[in-house]
Amino acid sequence: MNVRILRQLTPTSPTRWEGFNVDVTDDMSIAGLLDHINYNDDIFDDQGNLTTRIGWECSCLQGACGACAMVVNDQPVLACETFVRDLKGSTIEIRPLRKFPVVHDLIVDRSSIHENLTSANVCIESYDPNETGSQAKLVKRQRHQYEIAKCLKCGLCLEVCPNYTNGLTFFGALFANDCYLVAMRNKSKAAEIKALYGEHFGRDCSKALSCMDVCPAQISTISSMAHLNR
Amino acid sequence: MDKVVVIGSGIAGCACAVRLAEAGIHVQLVSPYPSERSQSVMAAGGINAVLSDCEEGDSIACHVQDTLRGGHNLAGTQAVRTLCERAPEVIAYLERIGTVFSLEADGSLARRAFGGQTHRRTYYCGSSTGKQIVSALVMEVRRFETQGLIRRRLWSSFHSALIRDGRCFGAILYDEKSGNLMAEHADALVMATGGQNALFGKTTGSTQCDGYAAGKLFAQGVDLKNLEFVQYHPTTLETSQKRMLISEAVRGEGGRLFYLEHGERIYFMEEKYGDGGNLMPRDVVSQEMAATGRETYLDASFLGKDLIDKRLPEVRDICSKYRGIDVAAEPIPVAPSVHFFMGGIAVDNNHETNIQNLFAAGECASMYHGANRLGGNSLLAAICGGWVVADTIADRSRAGASPDFAALLREENQKLARMRDTSSVFPVMYIRDLLAKTMAECLGIVRNDSSLADGISDVDYYLSIAEKISYDPSAMMYANYSLVGILTLAKATLACARQRRESRGAHVRSDYPASQDSLCHASIVSYENGRYRVWLDKDKRYER
Repeated sequence: MNVRILRQLTPTSPTRWEGFNVDVTDDMSIAGLLDHINYNDDIFDDQGNLTTRIGWECSCLQGACGACAMVVNDQPVLACETFVRDLKGSTIEIRPLRKFPVVHDLIVDRSSIHENLTSANVCIESYDPNETGSQAKLVKRQRHQYEIAKCLKCGLCLEVCPNYTNGLTFFGALFANDCYLVAMRNKSKAAEIKALYGEHFGRDCSKALSCMDVCPAQISTISSMAHLNR
Repeated sequence: MDKVVVIGSGIAGCACAVRLAEAGIHVQLVSPYPSERSQSVMAAGGINAVLSDCEEGDSIACHVQDTLRGGHNLAGTQAVRTLCERAPEVIAYLERIGTVFSLEADGSLARRAFGGQTHRRTYYCGSSTGKQIVSALVMEVRRFETQGLIRRRLWSSFHSALIRDGRCFGAILYDEKSGNLMAEHADALVMATGGQNALFGKTTGSTQCDGYAAGKLFAQGVDLKNLEFVQYHPTTLETSQKRMLISEAVRGEGGRLFYLEHGERIYFMEEKYGDGGNLMPRDVVSQEMAATGRETYLDASFLGKDLIDKRLPEVRDICSKYRGIDVAAEPIPVAPSVHFFMGGIAVDNNHETNIQNLFAAGECASMYHGANRLGGNSLLAAICGGWVVADTIADRSRAGASPDFAALLREENQKLARMRDTSSVFPVMYIRDLLAKTMAECLGIVRNDSSLADGISDVDYYLSIAEKISYDPSAMMYANYSLVGILTLAKATLACARQRRESRGAHVRSDYPASQDSLCHASIVSYENGRYRVWLDKDKRYER
């Protein structure tokens, strides 16, 4: 199968598409496919030219860390849990996330995610389970909070979001969900965090909700919004 | 002390950084990637503690005993006692900072059984306990970032420590963005870099944890300890790129191990050890599985879909996604795989190395687990260790002015420049693959003298060509310069394994199958003018 990858050696280098002919299997993940290309001592493109190894980021290789977020056939995905069997068409096209500056090939700098959360000081600080009220309520709310704390900060929700551009004012779904977690776990901060949520999410979200379609942790952002928009 | 550099932003690094910041100390938290990419997020099962609502008959003394016995009496008694005594404080802290623990119907913290323990004392967050703790700790780090006490340095990697006359004055860091080395002077340096997965290639852990820091520090004069004790987790699932961990929680919930003989299931652990057989310590289960010489399976289907969905959703998802296995309907094919390193940087009870003001915590340090770690004790040790480091530093006065390291920095920058110009037929990743093959062959579940000697000679060869690698400009610079440190650690590990002529815990020698009382001491390896000297810590230098 022909695999096309958008290459960029350094943050300031020009970009170029490079093709590779790869023997793929249905059960191969995109992460496996990239490893497969990189494994050879010498790497040749589909024109027979010697080229360099493809830069990409990985850590857990099981969908738990978000390192390998990239765009495959126009879909923002995690490379380690996207399989050839799930892709349509006769070619595979891979490029880095567009909403972040490229460091090298498929590796992007997602520092802005953390800078935004820090600038808004999104933190629980102090949680008292007895504050929540009845035990039944506590257990019921636990599920969504657990889901949110599984957010990988991978940036897929920002990549797909029609409202997120450069993160200067609108911080996206991952911010909204962390705001929910803080509001639910520290009542004394609820008003302050709701105001920040409004300023950096609620005001500009057009409710396309495409963020929920691509979230590897399957976080129900709409549930967070339903509470914080009240 | 006023300024500390912490290398690594997983649970141990973050716990230490936050505690230091709480004491008003400025911290540089160094890691090329954010905490969400750390191996800590992969810790699934839980965290051990004996709280006031403990199971009848349980006590902190029982937790201490289980940990020491599970570690085959090689862990420091005082350190383990401190670990277990502080466990309730750790749980209370994690709850206070907002960790989303699993709850019982009455709202109390839920707990489950874990291997090698006499009582159910493992508190958990579904099957993503590490991730939930990381999320809470990241928020705490953020709180101190906004106060200017913690500064995260992404895209920076550890290169070496600034050491002069037995004292540490900070670290040399490599900045991937600028492509330069820089000296970061500090009153203390804390290593929290995780285990050494890269030695083995395919493990259950993160590809980012490579052991480079321990190998580099060793060559700088830092002692390492108990490297031969490598934990093989009994239940992992083979996939094309890695071994996926099937959490001990599956057996904690009742999962059963078996193999097939003439189409009939043989529940070999239960047959040999009785009802609790499936939850024997990990070293025992792995060795029994290897001894069957057959394909082994873990059955959880009888637990039912509802319980699996509720308590083991991550296990369910991994099996389905990567192997198309429905855990609620069929058994999981499992085999042991490298999972955790009990050995690492040698530290005393304050988590300080033999170099003053150089500390280590978390999996990169060897302290609490002896010859085998109990499930649920690593998260506890990561947090507790981070705290011990921070409290020691907070009590210590400033180190004084740093010597001038400008010449060293210049020299190291020149070495990197030379590396960029090297050329040979060997790319870094090729040598890393060879190393992984060597280590898997020589440091499997069962070892012997001749294969260990072969392994040392293989690694000597890799070291001889490592300075002349084919520099790969398309890989991060770190991947290029880290090779020698990784190989150094591999050789030290093989040397320790060869020297320990007995079987104990995770170290099984076919040529020395019995334990020897006279060898019930930690092994220490020291670097002395290029020589790797392995010695037993008989006077308990590292238990003070």
